[in-house]
Amino acid sequence: MYRGREGQWAFALHRITGVALALYLLLHVFDVGLVMYGPNGPFNAFLAFYHQWPFRIGLILVMAAVIYHGLNGLRIIVMDFTSWGIRYQRGMWYGVLVLTTAIGIPILIKVVPEILAGKA
Amino acid sequence: MAARPKTLKQARATYNTNWELAWWVFMRISGFLLIFLVFAHIFFNNIQINVASVNYAYVAKELSKAWVKVYESFLLGLAMLHGTNGLRYSIEDYFRRPGTRFWLKAVLFTLAGLLFVIGVMALWAFSYQQMSTAINAASHGG
Repeated sequence: MYRGREGQWAFALHRITGVALALYLLLHVFDVGLVMYGPNGPFNAFLAFYHQWPFRIGLILVMAAVIYHGLNGLRIIVMDFTSWGIRYQRGMWYGVLVLTTAIGIPILIKVVPEILAGKA
Repeated sequence: MAARPKTLKQARATYNTNWELAWWVFMRISGFLLIFLVFAHIFFNNIQINVASVNYAYVAKELSKAWVKVYESFLLGLAMLHGTNGLRYSIEDYFRRPGTRFWLKAVLFTLAGLLFVIGVMALWAFSYQQMSTAINAASHGG
């Protein structure tokens, strides 16, 4: 197996998070779209199902994927549209990881207690 | 200026690259916009409130605001195009047989198109205020 350096890992993570987010988006549009069946439709039952803890952990992963994919996307834009981007791509990738963690920690502090507490 | 292509084959050779270039540019522009749109969407619906409190009443209240509908429409359109094109890139990278690629892409585009229509309908085709009021009135015997 070819093991590249940071750029290879940056690409692999961008690909995996991208595919996961696109599939999540399709599901998300479908289930929120159920709102059009009105208050007595399937919407509330569907959402209550998704509010169980395994799916809430899934949502944390979705948020982590969004943050990484968005920030690494900025790195790609900088690499593509500036003359100096490629020279600093490795450093920028570590910056992306640090920023993802930095944004992720306050989210965990807010969300994990909610999950542990159970009901809203 | 280059001569215009005279056959389908020439046209494919000429326009495929422009089409791909347009998508390449689109992925960067939409990606940049989506960072703000998606981060704010997640902040307001997942961080500021407990996401487990989201129910019909909450979504109906949000979707009775015009600016939310406009905001979510931009989010829906850009995210669906960005996501679908990203999945297309992945299909083209990992599936080599033309038949497999064709069917996977056919399923993807059909699914994405259907869900886009569902999204637009959910955002624009219903008055959630009226629906909530009507149901409340009926259930309270009013």
